Amino acid sequence: MENSGTYLTFIAEHLNQFFSYTSFANFTFGHLIMICVGLAFIYLAIAKEYEPLLLVPIGFGILVGNIAFTPGFQIGIYESGSVLNYLYFGVLQGVYPPLIFLGIGAMTDFSALISNPKLMLVGAAAQLGIFGAYAIALFLGFSPSEAGAIGIIGGADGPTAIFLASKLAPDLLGAIAISAYSYMALVPVIQPPVMRLLTTNKERLIRMKPPRAVSKTEKIMFPIIGLLLTAFIVPSGLSLLGMLFFGNLLKESTVTKRLADTAKGPLIDIVTIIIGLTVGASTQATTFLTAKSVGIFALGAASFVIATFGGVMFVKFLNLFLKEGNKMNPLIGNAGVSAVPDSARVSQIIGLQYDKTNHLLMHAMGPNVAGVIGSAVAAGILLGFLA
Amino acid sequence: MKVLKKLYKQIFFLLLLLLFAGHSFSQSGSDLRINEVLMDNDSNYVDDFGQRSAWIEIFNTAYNNVNIAGMYLTDDPKNPTKYLIPKGDPVTVIPQRNYIVFFADNHTTRGILHLNFDMKNSNYVALYDVNGRTLIDEINLVRQIPDISYGRLNDGSEFWGKLDKTTPKASNYTGKIVTAGEEFVKMDPYGLGMAMIAMSVVFIALMLLYLVFKNTRRLYTLDLKNLFTKEKIMIDINENQDITGEVNAAISMALYLYRSELHDHEETVLTIKKVARTYSPWSSKIYGLRNPHR
Repeated sequence: MENSGTYLTFIAEHLNQFFSYTSFANFTFGHLIMICVGLAFIYLAIAKEYEPLLLVPIGFGILVGNIAFTPGFQIGIYESGSVLNYLYFGVLQGVYPPLIFLGIGAMTDFSALISNPKLMLVGAAAQLGIFGAYAIALFLGFSPSEAGAIGIIGGADGPTAIFLASKLAPDLLGAIAISAYSYMALVPVIQPPVMRLLTTNKERLIRMKPPRAVSKTEKIMFPIIGLLLTAFIVPSGLSLLGMLFFGNLLKESTVTKRLADTAKGPLIDIVTIIIGLTVGASTQATTFLTAKSVGIFALGAASFVIATFGGVMFVKFLNLFLKEGNKMNPLIGNAGVSAVPDSARVSQIIGLQYDKTNHLLMHAMGPNVAGVIGSAVAAGILLGFLA
Repeated sequence: MKVLKKLYKQIFFLLLLLLFAGHSFSQSGSDLRINEVLMDNDSNYVDDFGQRSAWIEIFNTAYNNVNIAGMYLTDDPKNPTKYLIPKGDPVTVIPQRNYIVFFADNHTTRGILHLNFDMKNSNYVALYDVNGRTLIDEINLVRQIPDISYGRLNDGSEFWGKLDKTTPKASNYTGKIVTAGEEFVKMDPYGLGMAMIAMSVVFIALMLLYLVFKNTRRLYTLDLKNLFTKEKIMIDINENQDITGEVNAAISMALYLYRSELHDHEETVLTIKKVARTYSPWSSKIYGLRNPHR
């Protein structure tokens, strides 16, 4: 009898110990909030098809990162030696973003930009969002490095945001990455009201000249000259710019089709899976849910609005100097924020709402890809000034 | 055309300027610097044997590891290979932007960091490369006050002086370190300067691209032979050959349909295509495992 009592106590103690290891014992309200955020991401990705390639891995990563556990078993993403920690290494050290840029380069057609190089300037103007958010972040009391890392959300370029945050403010990386990708997915919601507010009905109906054909030589020259000019000015952006233009040369040279196919296919897919999952998992409630994270989300939204404002207003400004017939439709200005190709699609959709035969997609792709270059250059500047 | 010729020349010289502007840094043994020296050690840094002796700090200015093994340290300008730093010991690998300290105590039996000279009669220290001839760094010192070290005012910098504190295996600069960002914000607390400078740089970068690609078709069709000659007639052959994207799209669609349409005429006509099965021994039944032995 006494033996059985001891045995039951033994079992109860071990069951109790087992319970202390389960997620139920370590679960907090913060974990619940983050799991809801993860589920919302997955819902938006599957039901609404908002950036599903990014939001599904990130959303699921948030679920993975917010399963509560007892520390010390090499489980969590922040525990040295855990599998997730090894995968997260590539995020922290900025390994994955340049690889994604390689793939982006290999899948991007710069023809629209080459045929109408004026559009490059629109891509530059839309970077205003980065520095607007930087100034507001400074005003709110963030340190200069943190403000720089937060500002880059306005570049609307996930890999660039992760790259810069890993260098300037690794502690805020999760919040910055999540914010950047969330707002990229929400481009169709954020941008249209700003575009409508800043343009007149007459401006929205402007028809642009069809882009001219671009020769193969021009396409080959673009990544080479593009790299030399931009990287000479901002060498700190070399890893992003170098990979972007290298990927593009693989594509445009047409003699390295296999390499280009790998870069824009399996390679970018693998890296996107890992980066999405680990960035999502890095939002562990215990480290993620802070007042700073909330501030970063608010600043992220502001930066997208400012960037859209910068792009649209710059097109209107350029139009003051362009002859009738050469004028640009300001609805393509929003595409300068990069967020390829969603922001260009927004230009197309809004343009069609006012004129069913006015297709702006090809024109918007110009500032769209210029925005990718512009945000990489801007990241290089912030790194050079603040690191 | 004259304007165009001038533009090409300007671009050509701009590219030349960019190519030769600035200078590059290599990352190798030549990145090592004698960083700090303490000649008279009365009550200062103690070695692993509890002894006080003169010491020499070497700093790796590079952003990668540098192995100092095989190089030479000397206090005699006439004998550059006085102390060979032995190979095969991991302590000789200096991590990026890090330090190694050698004790000038003339006690080589205490390990490879203990030199075979003691600097009592010399005010000179030099580091030679593995060939024993290439001088990497040298310093002529004045006899110091005991326990006051002489070193570079900032790690790896050009300027030497008496240091306020001895800093073996640590940065020579002991003041408050202000990061580039903090310094920038002091001058530009609201971020307006940053916005203007950075936006200007982004614009310049993309403006350059714009200028190049505005003229790119002319650039690559340029006849270099005629560029630097006086008599030249440039004909813009592409001027009237612009084909719009819409025409291209129509041509591409026609080509696509021509290649991908398997039907001879229309969908109701059946086209019989010959299907050949290629032979492979891997699929051959005669090599099957279930065949009986013969």
